[in-house]
Amino acid sequence: MAGGETTGQQHRDFVFSCRSVSLKLPYQGGSRWILADISLDIRRGELFTIVGPSGTGKTTLIRVLGGLTPCTSGSVRINGQEIAGPPEGVVIVFQDYSHALLQWRTVYLNVALGIEGQVAASELRSRVVGVLRLVGLEKNADDYPWQLSGGMQQRVQIARALAVRPAVLLMDEPFAALDAMTKASLQDELLRVKQETGCSIVFITHDIEEAVYLGDRIAVISGTPGRIERTFDVPLPKPRDQIITRQSTEFLKFRYAVHQAIGGMTR
Amino acid sequence: MTARRFSGRPSWRPNVAGFVTVAICVLAWEMTIQVGIFDYQYLPAPSAIVRGAGELAASGELITATLHTLESVFLGWAVAVAAGISLGLLLGSSPLLRRYSLATIEVLRPMPAIAFVPVALLLFGFSIQTELMVIVLPSLWPVLINTMGGLMEVHARLEEVGRTFRLSRSAILYKVFLPAATPAIMVGVRISLTLAVVLAVLAEMVGNPEGLGYAVVSQQQALRPDLMFVYVVVIGLLGLALNALLVGFVSMSFPAASAEFKGPRS
Repeated sequence: MAGGETTGQQHRDFVFSCRSVSLKLPYQGGSRWILADISLDIRRGELFTIVGPSGTGKTTLIRVLGGLTPCTSGSVRINGQEIAGPPEGVVIVFQDYSHALLQWRTVYLNVALGIEGQVAASELRSRVVGVLRLVGLEKNADDYPWQLSGGMQQRVQIARALAVRPAVLLMDEPFAALDAMTKASLQDELLRVKQETGCSIVFITHDIEEAVYLGDRIAVISGTPGRIERTFDVPLPKPRDQIITRQSTEFLKFRYAVHQAIGGMTR
Repeated sequence: MTARRFSGRPSWRPNVAGFVTVAICVLAWEMTIQVGIFDYQYLPAPSAIVRGAGELAASGELITATLHTLESVFLGWAVAVAAGISLGLLLGSSPLLRRYSLATIEVLRPMPAIAFVPVALLLFGFSIQTELMVIVLPSLWPVLINTMGGLMEVHARLEEVGRTFRLSRSAILYKVFLPAATPAIMVGVRISLTLAVVLAVLAEMVGNPEGLGYAVVSQQQALRPDLMFVYVVVIGLLGLALNALLVGFVSMSFPAASAEFKGPRS
């Protein structure tokens, strides 16, 4: 079940490979371990969810993958290359969209941030319009972020990330601040976007159902410092459906198993 | 609703209620003097001041003095804004520079502008340089402090957004930090303009004998309080007009920044 058998030509199959990643951060004069001995592989094209309670270093882990925080020991490779700083083709989608969007730029210009000056004007225009259409915001190109609802703002952030045509999308609890209905529709949108773009996604959440519903595989992170306790393959049929999938026996079985994995650790 | 309120277009509805209060005050002033409740030899009625304004406008003295003061305000303010933004950007982005220079700034900042007048007079004599020396330093601080503070208050997430999109350090500065700090910078720029007007008048009163400030003093010494009041009123209107122009300019140029800018953050 756990993706452990990694030798040789693996970076054709894996985008990310972490080996014994540990991290400590300065804390109140001393330092504190946040992540301990994390080893995992992210397969090309999969949606990998990492689920665990708060305080287990989930966000720190995604920052390490995104190159914002260097790890203290161990190795993180992307396509076989050790990472040093934010790697090309990897974009983080942050939880707090209101801080992550440039409030003084329109939706259009926010989405252009990662590609402006790098592609020709006509290419820029068609890419921005394309990703806005993909997330259903083509009518809001000229709005400012603060004129939009939370769900729409998070769509802008996703569109901005997609505009650079990333190989990997790192998503840090992107739907945690949204209401249940918006969350459900964004989950389905994400699955659709992933299908259309073919990018790999690492998705952090503390919502077990969300982890099971979205994931091709799930890693359970737990404890302080955080460790990967288990990984599950989730062979639920696709396309997934908010009603049918969520009431299927397999879905409930996985939900139970993940619950047990987390509960067993925190006790 | 919200969109309208933040859309940044200044609305030019005349403030009728505000004008009524001003009109009542002026009228009350006129009455007290006409009726003789106040009977000071050198307190003119508003009507006398208006007559005086006509006199000064006709002779060209008013326009000459106003242009001189405007020139020193603009020069001094421009230097203060340019230096304040540049230094503020440096200090706001470098903790090391801050460690070395904040103490110096805290010593220099409370220095009263008027204390520079004697020094300026010795250095530059009766000249516009004297005025500039008095104007620039005090009006530099609000720009510098607000620029520095604005940069330091930019949310850490925004820098990480810049990094995850692999923007260069300079691109992060001018695409992320600078616009994020613009509302704060503009507050400093605006305070600085108000200060520059006050300081220019002050420098003309006690230093360089030209412009509106000197005109106030010389009319007082000539025992022409009506003409003196004309200059006082013009100074007030000048400050009002410059501030209004700046607010209008900012809401046109930075629509997204102006919502915060118009707030009472001074």
